[in-house]
Amino acid sequence: HAALSRRYVLCEVVSEDPRCRQCIEDRALGLAIRDAIARVHGDYGLACCSISFTGAGETGGPWGCGVPPGPSPVRVSPAVKYLNAYTGTVLLRCRKDSYRLLCSALPFVRSLESRAQRYPCFLNTLHVGGTIRTCQKFLIQYNRTQLLRLLQNCTNEEERQCIQKSLLSCSLTEEQSQSGDEEEDDGTE
Amino acid sequence: AAAFERRVLRSAAEHHYLRVRLELPDGGARPNAAQFKQLVVTALRELHGEVGAALPVDVLTYEEKTLSAILRVISSGLVKLWSALTLLGFYQNRRCAFRVLQTSPFLLALSGNSRELVLD
Repeated sequence: HAALSRRYVLCEVVSEDPRCRQCIEDRALGLAIRDAIARVHGDYGLACCSISFTGAGETGGPWGCGVPPGPSPVRVSPAVKYLNAYTGTVLLRCRKDSYRLLCSALPFVRSLESRAQRYPCFLNTLHVGGTIRTCQKFLIQYNRTQLLRLLQNCTNEEERQCIQKSLLSCSLTEEQSQSGDEEEDDGTE
Repeated sequence: AAAFERRVLRSAAEHHYLRVRLELPDGGARPNAAQFKQLVVTALRELHGEVGAALPVDVLTYEEKTLSAILRVISSGLVKLWSALTLLGFYQNRRCAFRVLQTSPFLLALSGNSRELVLD
């Protein structure tokens, strides 16, 4: 039996309107992306990518025809795995066979809507990886370079001091309970 | 010794040709050529979205009396077109169905149909 391969797409939400940040939540994003896939790839694409924010998007192979997925635990799997409203980073999940449908539909997301407010934005694809861990490694590296670039582009001394202080205070701590390192903060805390 | 060369081309044809017939219940207006093409593109848009609707599909011939047509599509889009035609259910709120009679990468092959051959 073959394992179900996934692809994780890392993207960032870019918007000129600062109020768009409050729309970055998994329901709003999931809806916007699902709409884009339905528009670009139709019913077939929608079914392939099975983007769902409330879960129950995929029932899998393990059940035979005779066993219905009743009250036994159905694996609820929302496709938006990680969200960071401060940086606008989003991690999406889809199957390996249909990640191209998802990636080609992302440029067609033009606005995010939440609480009856719609703000224009676009999604930048940063990285496509096979596991969450590789995407996390890439994101750490990317955030590091972004911080340095922000430092270079500082316009006044105050901002510069502020960012320098945050940069110097960032550190990697070893979690006692988990085995991995904690992801580096982007300095807004 | 004479040297010879054998070339085998698999799926090398650029286009695929389909002879299709639209089945509509009797009574009611029959689509003309433009409306027929609009129907095909609508079917593609429903199943495969904007990408499907942008597929280069041509209606080479169309007979309004029998509602049959010959369609031409890029080979890479054959599966999308055929699946979209199969799943189309309605034309102007009337039930309809597409029947694919023949398909071939060569247009000449559509001229004869051994299924309709009448043997004396």
